[in-house]
Amino acid sequence: MVSTVQNTDVKQKESDHAVVVAVASRAVFEPEAQGGDNVYAEGVAFPLLQALQKVNERLLEENSAESLLFDIVLITTDSQQQQQSSHLISSTKHYGLEVSRFCFSTEEDFIESLLQNNVQLFLSTDRNEVSQTSQKGVLSALLDEYTTSCPSEQLRVLFCGDAVIRPDTNPTPASRQAAQSFSAQLGKMRQRFGMSDSPLSIVLMTSCGGRDSCGGALRTLRSLGISVDEAYCLAGSPRGPILSVLRPHFVLSDCFSGLED
Amino acid sequence: MSEMKPSDVAAAEDSSEEKDWAAAKAAFDNLKSNKPRPPKPRFAVSIAVSSRTVFNMVAERKIYEEEGVEKYVAFQVEHENEPFRPGPAFPFVKALMNVNSRLRELYPDSEELFDVILMTNNPAQVGVRLINSINHYDLTIERFCMTGGQSPIGYLEAYMTNLYLSKDSDKVTEAIEAGIAAATMFMPEKEMELSDTQLRVAFDGDAVLFSDESEIIVKKHGLDTFFEHEKRYENQPLAQGPLKCFLEALGKLQRKFYSKNERLNCPIRTFLVTARSAASSGARVLKTLRSWGLEIDEALFLAGAPKGPLLQKIRPHIFFDDQMFHIEGAKDLGTIAAHVPYGIGQKYHKGKLIEQPAKNE
Repeated sequence: MVSTVQNTDVKQKESDHAVVVAVASRAVFEPEAQGGDNVYAEGVAFPLLQALQKVNERLLEENSAESLLFDIVLITTDSQQQQQSSHLISSTKHYGLEVSRFCFSTEEDFIESLLQNNVQLFLSTDRNEVSQTSQKGVLSALLDEYTTSCPSEQLRVLFCGDAVIRPDTNPTPASRQAAQSFSAQLGKMRQRFGMSDSPLSIVLMTSCGGRDSCGGALRTLRSLGISVDEAYCLAGSPRGPILSVLRPHFVLSDCFSGLED
Repeated sequence: MSEMKPSDVAAAEDSSEEKDWAAAKAAFDNLKSNKPRPPKPRFAVSIAVSSRTVFNMVAERKIYEEEGVEKYVAFQVEHENEPFRPGPAFPFVKALMNVNSRLRELYPDSEELFDVILMTNNPAQVGVRLINSINHYDLTIERFCMTGGQSPIGYLEAYMTNLYLSKDSDKVTEAIEAGIAAATMFMPEKEMELSDTQLRVAFDGDAVLFSDESEIIVKKHGLDTFFEHEKRYENQPLAQGPLKCFLEALGKLQRKFYSKNERLNCPIRTFLVTARSAASSGARVLKTLRSWGLEIDEALFLAGAPKGPLLQKIRPHIFFDDQMFHIEGAKDLGTIAAHVPYGIGQKYHKGKLIEQPAKNE
């Protein structure tokens, strides 16, 4: 059974224009640890939430009537977390997180919940959840232990061109559509800021192809209204060392296959 | 295969790394063109070059400084299909490509090659013009980092960079402090005809290949003390300087030609161009090189004579020196010079101590 609760501490966003981002509660709060006063400890996604909030803050600075904002939803994806609903709400309010609403669902119905809430991006530390959600056509990305060391002052989104396609996550037309529409929104948000001192940085990385593969991807993204800030062409060099310097909050991969053609 | 990288870097073979590598190999092998595939970074001699060293971007830089970043990027995008003219590192990059062709002929399966990486602070939008320019000259640069303002140091380390060339002396200093061989490039006043069959690299000795320990003695106690000191410690090797490892990497590639009987035809030649004199202070330098197991093809002792005219005869693709006085002398007579901001030489100009304002930490 799914229930949605609004966070009364936070102003609700305009549903037609906002970009709905759902984050799994296990990523936001440490499920086992307690921060004292019955409040959960911070999870790996904390810097990510702070960065999303920073973008909203700066968007409103540029235009106080801005409606293209991130609409952050906290979602539980299993019955155990669903039981903790009051703790989750009180912890969220305690940290002053800009979460507009909570979706309390279980393993069986959380994807339904995502679809009902018009979620454009789902973030979780659970590989299976991300994979299942992707298959159903909702853009999803995996958060890992590196997410915790990302900056909180700037949201860094990495587009991975030509990443090695994993056999179990062939992008469906629906998920490719979801990726394109989210990216277009991101591109529009990026246009609200100047070249330097932007709270949002769009990063492109190509792993296998040479310079023309990356150049092609840059031009394609540009034609979709997405102006890339940083570009890295690896041409086969190991990703790990580069990613640890890049520190993206999340990576959108496998959804732009053929981007660089 | 011998290691081109410092021995303390022991990269564990990650299976996902291998997958990436295999995919890249496949991607290149499937290309319709016969573009050479970039080598595996761990085995390659990685040379990172900034955009302003490969290409002449002086006019664009002026726009950036006078009109700001937005106008600068707009200008670059507007002129995207116009290739840049060559910059100071351009002949050096072409010479590296030539060495690679020769290495591939002799060792078709080896990854021990030069790997040229474009390392720029430019935003990615300027990248399109840079890629178009690289295509125009058909340079073998397949890897790049366009950091959009972020510091390149982390990426230099990620690539285990053997040499970093930039026009920005702050970044070069940062790199040297991080233990990466680096130099600030200068465009000469006039053009010099350079070899297109042999890479020629000239190095100053003290504070470039060697530490600045002896130079400190000259600056603080004068030449006579210096000569005595060098004679007394002739058999004690000098400590290494910031470019020593780069000379070592060049030497490893040279030996690959020697073992295939190509010594006379070797496409890499190294030169030592030092103000030391052969009689009084030269021996220590040669003995130090020997103790390191390094060879240098020609050692030229100037005994204080200006370096410019000699460099005109040598015609190196790049000349490394720690003192701006020598850089300027080289530049004036047409040599492409690269300043190594290391050691006591930075505090002096033409033998006089530079008055430094107190730095605000």
